[in-house]
Amino acid sequence: MATKHVVFTFNHLPYGTVYYAEGLRAAVGVTSGIDEHTVDLVYLGDGVHFAVKDLDRTDSARYLATFAKQGVKLKVEKESLAARNISAADLADDTEIISHADAVDLIKRADLTIAF
Amino acid sequence: MSNLYLIDQPFASNALAIAADDSDALVVLIQDGVYADLTPLAKQNRLPVYGVAKDIERRGLGKRLEKTVQPIGFDKLVDLIIDHKVINFA
Repeated sequence: MATKHVVFTFNHLPYGTVYYAEGLRAAVGVTSGIDEHTVDLVYLGDGVHFAVKDLDRTDSARYLATFAKQGVKLKVEKESLAARNISAADLADDTEIISHADAVDLIKRADLTIAF
Repeated sequence: MSNLYLIDQPFASNALAIAADDSDALVVLIQDGVYADLTPLAKQNRLPVYGVAKDIERRGLGKRLEKTVQPIGFDKLVDLIIDHKVINFA
């Protein structure tokens, strides 16, 4: 087995389902094996609502703390933010805005993609 | 190797927006993905779009399905999955 780069996409609103937390849990799992796979966390469409700074992150705080230690930021698609009238000032510190073109490129280059 | 976007409904809108900007893509709609609004693909009319025939038939979508969607059986689906890099949105 070799190290792979895995892109997790988050596509759902942050409450009402377990997608947002389960996806992060799975992503932590992917990075914790002996192969030391690497991940990108990409928020698309309604998923970008997870990135706002006032969101209650109780359910996912421990997973996010793990990624913070690894220097992994939440990549949030700029066009999805604009469509939902969310500004950069509304976002949490551990997020990073990327363009749609950047999101396409990350997904194309990934060894594996997993959607939540 | 082309990228095969395997798409089911909860992710269809975001997935099609990504696939539309991938010049080396093909799309397979699976399960409720066959209901997807294909408008995002309008700018990429060369992109092949397949739909799992059984999923189309079960939902009575045969006559209403967009003509750009080519129905395929499970044997063809398996061939496509083996021959391409799968980008999973299902």
